[in-house]
Amino acid sequence: MTRPATILLALVVVLGLAAPWLAPNPYDHQFRDMASASPQPGFPMGTDDLGRDRLSRLLYATRVSVLLAPSAATISVLLALLFSALAALPSRLVAWTLSLANGIFLSLPWIFLFIILRSKLSLNTDPLVSVTLTFALMGVAGWAIPGRAFTASIVEMKDAGWLLQARAAGLRPWRIATAHAWPHLWSLALVQFRILIPAYVLSEASLGLLGLGVADPMPSWGNLLRDLQHPDVVQANPWTLAPLALLVLVMICLESLTPSRKAAL
Amino acid sequence: MKHILLLLPLVLSAAVPQQLRFAINGDPKMFDVLMVAESNSETIRYLTAGVLLRVNRTTDVPQPELAESFQVKEGGRAITFKLRPNLQFSDGTPLTAADVERTLRRALDPKSGSPTGDTLRAGDTAPEILVANPREITLRYKAPKPGIDRLFDSVGIAPPVQTKLPPSSGAFFVAEYQPGTFVLLRRNSHYFKRDAKGVQLPYLDSIRLDIQANADIALTRYQRGEFHLINKLDADSFDRLQKTQNNSVRSLGPSLDPEFIWFNQAPAKTLPEWKRAWFTSAAFRHAVSSAIRREDMARIVFKGHAHPAVGPISTANRFWVNAALKPPVLDTKGGLAQLAKEGFTLRGNVLRDKGNHAVEFSLITQAGKRPRERMASLVADDLKALGIKVNVVTLDFGSLLDRISKSLDYEAALLGFENVDADPSEEMNVWLSSGAQHAWWPAQKTPATAWEARIDKLELAQAAEGVRANRKNLVDEFQKIVREEEPIIYLLNPDYLVAVSPSLKGVQPVVVPPQILWNAEWLRFE
Amino acid sequence: MSSVLDFRISASYGTTEVLHQVAATIAPGEIVSLVGLSGSGKSTLALALLRLLRYRGGVVTGNIRLEGTELTTLSESGMRAIRGRRIGYVPQSPGLSLNSRLRVETLLDETWRAHASRSANHRGLLESVQLPADTAFLRKRAGELSTGQGQRLLIALALMHGPALLLADEPTSALDAIAQAGVLQLFGRINRERGTAILFISHDLLSVAGISHRVDILHEGRLVESGSPAAVFRTPQHPFTRQLVAAMPRLTLPD
Repeated sequence: MTRPATILLALVVVLGLAAPWLAPNPYDHQFRDMASASPQPGFPMGTDDLGRDRLSRLLYATRVSVLLAPSAATISVLLALLFSALAALPSRLVAWTLSLANGIFLSLPWIFLFIILRSKLSLNTDPLVSVTLTFALMGVAGWAIPGRAFTASIVEMKDAGWLLQARAAGLRPWRIATAHAWPHLWSLALVQFRILIPAYVLSEASLGLLGLGVADPMPSWGNLLRDLQHPDVVQANPWTLAPLALLVLVMICLESLTPSRKAAL
Repeated sequence: MKHILLLLPLVLSAAVPQQLRFAINGDPKMFDVLMVAESNSETIRYLTAGVLLRVNRTTDVPQPELAESFQVKEGGRAITFKLRPNLQFSDGTPLTAADVERTLRRALDPKSGSPTGDTLRAGDTAPEILVANPREITLRYKAPKPGIDRLFDSVGIAPPVQTKLPPSSGAFFVAEYQPGTFVLLRRNSHYFKRDAKGVQLPYLDSIRLDIQANADIALTRYQRGEFHLINKLDADSFDRLQKTQNNSVRSLGPSLDPEFIWFNQAPAKTLPEWKRAWFTSAAFRHAVSSAIRREDMARIVFKGHAHPAVGPISTANRFWVNAALKPPVLDTKGGLAQLAKEGFTLRGNVLRDKGNHAVEFSLITQAGKRPRERMASLVADDLKALGIKVNVVTLDFGSLLDRISKSLDYEAALLGFENVDADPSEEMNVWLSSGAQHAWWPAQKTPATAWEARIDKLELAQAAEGVRANRKNLVDEFQKIVREEEPIIYLLNPDYLVAVSPSLKGVQPVVVPPQILWNAEWLRFE
Repeated sequence: MSSVLDFRISASYGTTEVLHQVAATIAPGEIVSLVGLSGSGKSTLALALLRLLRYRGGVVTGNIRLEGTELTTLSESGMRAIRGRRIGYVPQSPGLSLNSRLRVETLLDETWRAHASRSANHRGLLESVQLPADTAFLRKRAGELSTGQGQRLLIALALMHGPALLLADEPTSALDAIAQAGVLQLFGRINRERGTAILFISHDLLSVAGISHRVDILHEGRLVESGSPAAVFRTPQHPFTRQLVAAMPRLTLPD
């Protein structure tokens, strides 16, 4: 199961990275006499409402998602590690504050933060900059998800029998942290990283649905999915489902590569 | 045998259930006809409240209703209504001039906060109300009140006592209300109106308004035959419906609603002086306007269900539109020539101004409004031909409103109006340079340009002018100036699209509210 | 320096005192068993002696002298130099006390480097606790070891720096009867060959009596009896001891 998933994912990543060479057309060129066209030579997946080549847009959208979602996940995991490390301190107040901060971050209506970000950015901000910032913000906002897992793990470790054994053997705290605790956190970090990637791909998609994600004309999976809002239109033009199919495929692959939490702990 | 034949049509028509069903998108907030402030209550008010006169939506002429006649007097300062004899509310109580007086006084009472009162007042002062006898009432203003007759189209006569479901003076009354579910209107058996054969109106026994916020579900229920009409369709739904139920969709031609873009001309801190110089140049605005392919926009964004707009007044508004004006024509070369005269030069693919700044601006529009997002994309692409780079930014409505009306931190915006009235005073707060919604530079202390000063004069003059023909001349000149200066670049008027069940007869749809329902008492099923 | 360990301590969690003036002296090369039921304060005593009780939220008062050095006044880094080097701690339950993610060689190396700078060959040590010393074993993760192997590894880690005292907290409780006997024999041999003093903490009087020089009985946080195994078995003084002895299984075979 993991092998085909890895190969498929690698293929998607390559497709995304190679978009400038693979795409038959510029992603933003409006073939106005060909608007909403069916698949045909020159437009293997047809065109969208504005006559833009669907295949080219899908390839470029893949590029955005495969590059930026893992970056955002990395930011979240690193921040989470940094904050959760405080839980190792003996003070209960620190642990309590940490879990409070965690709870607050998890329950904040993040959508408003994105609205604020949009309103603070200059209107002439390059779409590339704005999409990078959007993902960076997702990464920062998302620290609480892995943060909770890390904090729980660290609190659990504080009571672990092996910690007592290591202390009784005279190990220095720094060695205990790096040699004993780190392997646990590292494997947890990998799991969290893989959980976050699809979450961020989907978040971008939801933001895109609200028109707050990646700005037109730059394509992303989110804004491509916005074209799927009328079921009977989709039914008549099944090729418009391609972005959704790709998203689902990537989700399934990532899911099958993610070890269950139980196995990780 | 003769008798049976005569009865036959009656028997047949009785076999068809005379209940009209359609969707409203939310609960009506109140049934008090004087307090209506939102569109769903407005629809119910229109169907239930009797009015002294009604503006015929097809001919635009005020016609008698509860009043059998009315007379505008003293050069537009006063109006006298003569009520029909033996009028009754839906509960059978008599309706006399005293009821009209009580209605007007309650509406005009500042404590009531009635929106109807606002339309009745002239500035801050209320008119004098004189009841001559139980069938005659006169209103007198201190100065001529423009459209003194037409304003009574929206003044519903209220019953003596406001109950939860009050009796009505119009064709229907509210019989039942299930919050979140439906409002049921029944025919008023005391309604005065009869058809040519003497049959009492309305023909319909009842109207059921189902509360359905989701337009897609409403459309599906229409397709299943559960609803008999949709008062406003978007282009996509229209096309989908056309494929399956071709005989039920109708395009009423251009609506009153314009879609447009404008540039920020206000001296905002965030707007560099050199950019403001472009935006305040009429030549720049004309060049932009002339490079926009409005036909593409109508075809691609509205599937052909839109027409290039001529200006603030839609061609649908047959009386008030300046017929001499035609939509701007595509002329990129002409646009470039105009820009060259202003010192702009096209080098490579980039237009540069006198100061060698590359011409680039952001165009904001409302996130989630697909047609506007698409129009903005098309504009951005069209303006490449002039060497102008446009960055389209979609914003949530709150931020958008804040930028265009408060912070003025924007460069250009693409929006539209939904006009609910054909009267040219409707957009007064947009056109007066002191107006809060004076789009390109709100709330100016004194008009920034001579042409804005002239528009101020024309707007105020037309509002005060009692003679319709004179008023039309003023409004025509106003439209001509807007075209010459293009402070707002008009793009399209989307067509007004409706769906009506073919079994519903007597339909005379119009683009002004309440569209299909405007002659509800004449509608029937066959 | 007449004794390896000499202590008199009390310990409490919050306002609850769990050890009341518990005192004992362990001579060099002596094996002392501390026997009590669960809840009597045995594990608390082990942690208290290592001055690790604060990680469980406990407070210790009194005196602990190890080879003539007073431990209660030592700094944390001073204590670190004692732990694992002068006192070897053998915890119970290898499943919990070994970091399952680490390889055997990592555990050995980390424990070695806590008190030495050069790298070491652990072959001799592993052989002395009857564990294989081949690469395959060293590359195993602690989670992959059997319970018996794990317990021997814990003993090896405790012995690594040649401590004067082994502090063994129920080291056989997780083992089956045969492995238990093997480990007990191992402790006896360590004591004979290295002369290491052992404080053996257990709930099982019978199993420790065979290797102990002295048995101390801990009941409800107090030392209630102390003597040679024979004396404790034959003439138990304290009612609790009598109960304990009476409850021991006796082998009665049918004729």
